[in-house]
Amino acid sequence: MIAAAWVCLFSPLTAALAITLAGNRLSRRGAGFLATSSVVVSFVAAVVAFAVLLGDSPDDRSHPSTLWSWLTAGQLDFGLRILVDPLSTFMMLIVSGVGALIVAYSIGYMDGDDEERRYFAYMALFVFSMLLLVQGGNLLMLLAGWGLVGLSSYLLIGFWHERPSAIAAAKKAFVMNAVGDATMALALFLLIQRTGSLNFEVVFPQAGSLGGWAANLVALGLLGGAVAKSAQLPLQTWLPDAMEGPTPVSALIHAATMVTAGVYLIVRTSPLFEQAPRVLELSAGLGAATLLMAGLIALVQVDIKRVIAYSTMSQIGYMFLAAGLGAYPNAMFHLMTHAFFKALLFMAAGIVIHALLGEQDMRRMGGLRRLMPLTYVAFLVGALALAGMPPFSGFFSKDSILAAALDHGWYGDVLWVVGMIGTFLTGLYAFRMLFLVFWGEPSAFVREHFHALGRGVVAYSLAWPVGILTVLAAFGGFLQFADVWTPVSNWLDPVAPPLVEATGTQEAVSSIVAVALGLAGIGTAWWIYAARRAPVPRVAALQTLFEHKFYFDELYDAAFYRPAVFLAQALGRWVERPLVFGSVRELSEGVRGLGLETRRLQTGLVRTYALAIAASLAVVTVVFVAVR
Amino acid sequence: MNAGWLTTALILLPVAGAIVVWVLPMRPFAVGSTALLVALAEVALWVDAVARFDFDRPGLQLDQQQSWFSDLHVSYHVGFFGFSLWLVGLTVVVLAAATGYAFWAGRERPRAYYGLMLLLTGAIVGVFVAQDLLLFYVFWEAMLIPLYFLVGVWGGAGRLRATLLFVIYTMAGSLLMLAAIIVFGLSAGTFDLVNSSTSGSDWIFLGFVAAFAVKAPIFPLHAWLPEAYRESSPEVAAVLSGVVSKVAAFGFLRIAIAKFPGPVSDFRTPILVLAACGLVYGSLLAFRAPDLRGVIAYSSLAQLGLITLGLFAVNDLGLNGAVLQMVNHGLISATLFLLAGGIERRAATGELGRLGGMARGRPALATVLMTTGVIALAVPGSAAFAGEFAILAGVFNTGWGYSVVGAVAIVLAAMYVLRLISAVLHESPGPAVSEAALDLRPAELSVLVPMVAILLVLSAWPAAITERSFASTQATAISQLRRALSNVNGTPIGTARITFHPVHVASANNVARLCKEQPPSSDEVCLEVGSGYPGLSARLP
Repeated sequence: MIAAAWVCLFSPLTAALAITLAGNRLSRRGAGFLATSSVVVSFVAAVVAFAVLLGDSPDDRSHPSTLWSWLTAGQLDFGLRILVDPLSTFMMLIVSGVGALIVAYSIGYMDGDDEERRYFAYMALFVFSMLLLVQGGNLLMLLAGWGLVGLSSYLLIGFWHERPSAIAAAKKAFVMNAVGDATMALALFLLIQRTGSLNFEVVFPQAGSLGGWAANLVALGLLGGAVAKSAQLPLQTWLPDAMEGPTPVSALIHAATMVTAGVYLIVRTSPLFEQAPRVLELSAGLGAATLLMAGLIALVQVDIKRVIAYSTMSQIGYMFLAAGLGAYPNAMFHLMTHAFFKALLFMAAGIVIHALLGEQDMRRMGGLRRLMPLTYVAFLVGALALAGMPPFSGFFSKDSILAAALDHGWYGDVLWVVGMIGTFLTGLYAFRMLFLVFWGEPSAFVREHFHALGRGVVAYSLAWPVGILTVLAAFGGFLQFADVWTPVSNWLDPVAPPLVEATGTQEAVSSIVAVALGLAGIGTAWWIYAARRAPVPRVAALQTLFEHKFYFDELYDAAFYRPAVFLAQALGRWVERPLVFGSVRELSEGVRGLGLETRRLQTGLVRTYALAIAASLAVVTVVFVAVR
Repeated sequence: MNAGWLTTALILLPVAGAIVVWVLPMRPFAVGSTALLVALAEVALWVDAVARFDFDRPGLQLDQQQSWFSDLHVSYHVGFFGFSLWLVGLTVVVLAAATGYAFWAGRERPRAYYGLMLLLTGAIVGVFVAQDLLLFYVFWEAMLIPLYFLVGVWGGAGRLRATLLFVIYTMAGSLLMLAAIIVFGLSAGTFDLVNSSTSGSDWIFLGFVAAFAVKAPIFPLHAWLPEAYRESSPEVAAVLSGVVSKVAAFGFLRIAIAKFPGPVSDFRTPILVLAACGLVYGSLLAFRAPDLRGVIAYSSLAQLGLITLGLFAVNDLGLNGAVLQMVNHGLISATLFLLAGGIERRAATGELGRLGGMARGRPALATVLMTTGVIALAVPGSAAFAGEFAILAGVFNTGWGYSVVGAVAIVLAAMYVLRLISAVLHESPGPAVSEAALDLRPAELSVLVPMVAILLVLSAWPAAITERSFASTQATAISQLRRALSNVNGTPIGTARITFHPVHVASANNVARLCKEQPPSSDEVCLEVGSGYPGLSARLP
C-alpha cells in the first residue's frame, strides 16, 4: 500500500521530466500518451492503496511513510513524508481518476498545437503537485504541494504565452495565491514554535493546548491559504481570468481538483480549526457570501467558460459552507460530485468551443442541440447535476450540505437561506447557458463556422472521457443517500468526524425546498431564454455591478497594486538616487581633495622622505614594544 | 598525506594556475582552456574534501597550522567546518561556471583576465577556510584586487565610476575591520579564531559588522551595488552577487556571531530591522527596475537582507536556513546573471521594455530561465523555499514582525520574478529581439545546466546541507552531554534541559572560560563536551 502510494505520487513527475528532457525526440502524440498513461498508473496505484486500506480495521487506517529528511534544523526534522489514510486516498482517487480522463481528453483538444509537449509536461507536473498536496504527511509537504499546484496553474493559464491577457491572468493567479501561501507559512511558523513539529499526528493532539489567540491565528493563516486557492472571498478575483488557459486546464485545475484544495485543507486540519470555532464560522460565512456573489455575477456573463468558472466559485462556496459548519463528509462528497459534473461541463463546453473554432461568446452560439446531440446530452446531464435535480449527483451532495446547515443554530439557518437563494440562482444561470448555447435556431455564426468532429483519435479522445464523466455525473450521487446509506461518511469518519448531523426531517425539508427553487430557476430561465415569453430583465445599476464583479479588481488595484508601485517609485526617486549618485559625487570630491593634500607631501626631496620613513619606523617600534 | 594539505591545495591550486597563465606565453584558446581545467580541478579537489569530511565529528577538520609570527600568535591556520565546506563548494562551482562562460564569450587580454579569475578563486576559498584573523584579512583584501581590475578594465561603459564606488566603499569597511582585528588580536593575545575567546566589546564588533555590511551589502550601505552589478561583465557580476556577497554573510556567522555573543544580543534589533528594511526595499526596487541586471541586483540586496535575518535570529532554524539560502542564492543569482549575459548578447540590451517573446522557438532558454526563476521566487517545494521557510521560522522566535515582513517580501518576490520572466519570454517579440536570435548554445547550456541541476537536487533534498552544517555537531554534543550527565553524582539522570550558547564554532578551550565568566547557578552544571562545541550548560531537573 505504501509502495503503491509512492508510485501514485511519482509516476506523473517521471512523465513530466521524461517529456521535458526528451524534447523533439518524442512525438507530440507520444507526449500525450505518455502523460495519460502516467496518470492512469497513478489511478491504478490509488485504487490499490484504497483496496488495501479497505482491508484494515477502521481505526487503523493511517499509514505514514517517510522517504528522507527534507529539511532539518537542530532537533527539528521535516521529512519528505506521505500519509495514506481514508481522506488522502479519497482525494487520490478523485485527482488521478478525473485527472486521467482530462489528460486523455487533452490529446484530442490540444491536437495540432505547436507546443503540445510542453502542455503535457505541465499537466503531468500538475497532477504530481496535486497528489503531493493531498498525500503530504506533514504540513510542510502539504504546503510544498500547495505551492507547486499554484506554479502549474500559472504555467498552464499562461500556456498561450503570446497573448498578453493570458500572461496577465497567469501572473495574477500566481500572486494572489502567493498571498495565501504567505499566510499559511506564517501559521506554520506559529505551529513550529508551539508544537515543535509539523507532522499531523504530532500537531493535532496538541491543538487543544495552543491557546485561544494562537489557535485563532493558526486557523486564520490556514484559512488565508484556503480562500486564495479556492477563489473564495476576498481572494477570488483570479479565477475568472484563469479561463484564459486551455479548456482542459480549466476542467482539471480550475474546476475538479486544485480549486477545491481549500476544502481539503480545512477538512484535513479540522482539529486545528475546531480550536478556533469563530474562524470556522467565518469560513462558512465566506463560503455563503461567495456562493451568492458568484451566482449573481454568473447571470450576466456572456463567455461560456466564465459562466462555468463563476459556477465553480459558487459551488466551492457550498463546500466551504459545509466545512465551516463541521459537516466534513458532506463537503468532501460535494467535492467529489462537483469534480464529476463540473469537469463534464467544462469538457462538453470544450467540444462546443472546438467545434466553433475557438469561439466562447454565448451570444454568437445557439441551436447546437441538433448539430451535436450527444454533446447536448452530456451538457444537459452536467447542468441538471449542477442545479441539483434528482436523481443526478449534485442533488444528493448539495442537499445534504443544506440539511446540515439546519443543525447549526441561527447562524446555520441564515446560511441555509443563503444557500437556498443560491440554488435558485444555480438553476437560472446553468439553464440560461444551456438554452443560449443549444436551443433556438442556429445563429449565423454557427451556420458559418460549425464543423463536425469526424472520427479518429481526436474525436475518440474527446468523446470517451466525456461519456465516462456523463455516467459519473448522472449516477455518482448514489454513493451516499441522506442517513440511509452513508459509505462516504463512514469512510471519512476516522479522519474528520462531523460536528453536525442532520435529522431525517431536515433532510426532507431541505431537499424539497432546494428542488423546488432549482426548478423555479430552470423555469425562469426557460421563460426568458428558451420560450422568450419575457424580455431579459435589466436593472442598469445591478447589471453594471455584476459585470464589474462587484468592483473587487478595481478595489485591489487601488488598495494594493498602486500603492506598491507608488512606493517603489518614490523609494527609487527619493532614496535610491540620492544614495547612489550622492555617494558618487561626494566620493569623487573627497578623493580629489585627498589627492590635493597628498600632492603637497610629494615634495621630491629625498631628505623629507627619509625623515618620514624614520619617523614611521620609530612610531611602529614604540607601538610594538608598548603592546608587548 | 595529511588531509590538511587538501585545504591548502584548494587555495594554492588556482593561485598556481594564475601564475602559470601569466608567465607562460600561451595562445588565447590555450589560456582559456587551462583556466577552465584548473577551475574544474578545483571542483574535483572540493569533492575530495567532502568525501574526506566526517560530518558526524564536531569541530575543525582538514585543518593545517603553521606558525607565522609566533610572538603575535599569528599563524597560517586553515580548516573546514560543515558550513564552510558548502560555501567553498558554492565558490568553486560558480567560479568554474564563470570561467567557462568567459571562455565561451571570449574576453580581451585573456592571460590577464583568466589569471585574475583564478587568483580571485584562491582568495575567496582562503577567506572561507582561514582560521586566523590576520590570514582572514589578507585573503579578504586579496579578493578585492582582482575584482578591482575585473570590474574596472573589462566592465561596461560606466565601469570607472562603478569601480570607484565599489573600491571606496569596501576599502572603508576593510579599514574598520583591520582596526577591529588588531585590537581584538592584541587584547586576546592571539589572532587565532579557534583558540581565542569571545569578546564583549561593542566597538570591535561594530568594526567587523561594518566591513561585512558593506560587502554584503546591507541596506543602506548598498550604493555601490547597482552600478557594480550593471557595469561588470556578466560572469563577474555572477561572482560578485553569487559568491562575494556570501563572504560577507560568512563573516557575520564565523566572526561577528561566533565571537561576540554579548554585542550580538545588544545590536540584534537594529541589525534585524535594517535587514528587514533591505528585504522589502530591495524587493520593491527590483519590481520597478527597468533592466535585467537591475532586477537581479536588487533582488540580491533583498536576499542578503533575508540571509542576515536568519543569521541574527541565532537559533537552529535561522542559522541552518541562512547557510542553505547562501548556497541557493549563490547558485540562483549566478545562473541569472549568466543568463542575463546570454540574453544581452542576443538582444544587445538588457532593457525589459525592449525584450519579449523569446520563448517562441527557444525552448532551452525558456526552460532554464523559467526553472531558475521559479526557484528564485521560492515557490513552495523549491530549495530556496526551504531556506526562506527555515529563516523566517527561525526569526519568528525572535519577533513575529520580522516574519510578517518576510511574508510580504515573498509576495513581492513573486511579483518581480514573474515580471522578469514575462518581460523576456512572453507576449510578442520586443523591438530588440530578432528572429535570428538563437536559442542557448551547447556551450552556454554546459555552464548553466549543472547549476540548475544542483538547485533541483537541493529542492528534492535541502537537508543535504542543513543536516551537515551544524546539526551533527549538536547531536554529538547532546549525546556526550547526556552521557556526562548520567554520571553526575554517580546516578543517571533521565532528562536534562539543554541550553545552547549561540556560539557554534569556537573551541573547547572556551568552555572553561565561559563557565568562569558566567558561572552556572546552583542547579546547573558546566560541562566541556567535545572539541569545537563550547558553551553548553545543562540544567539539572
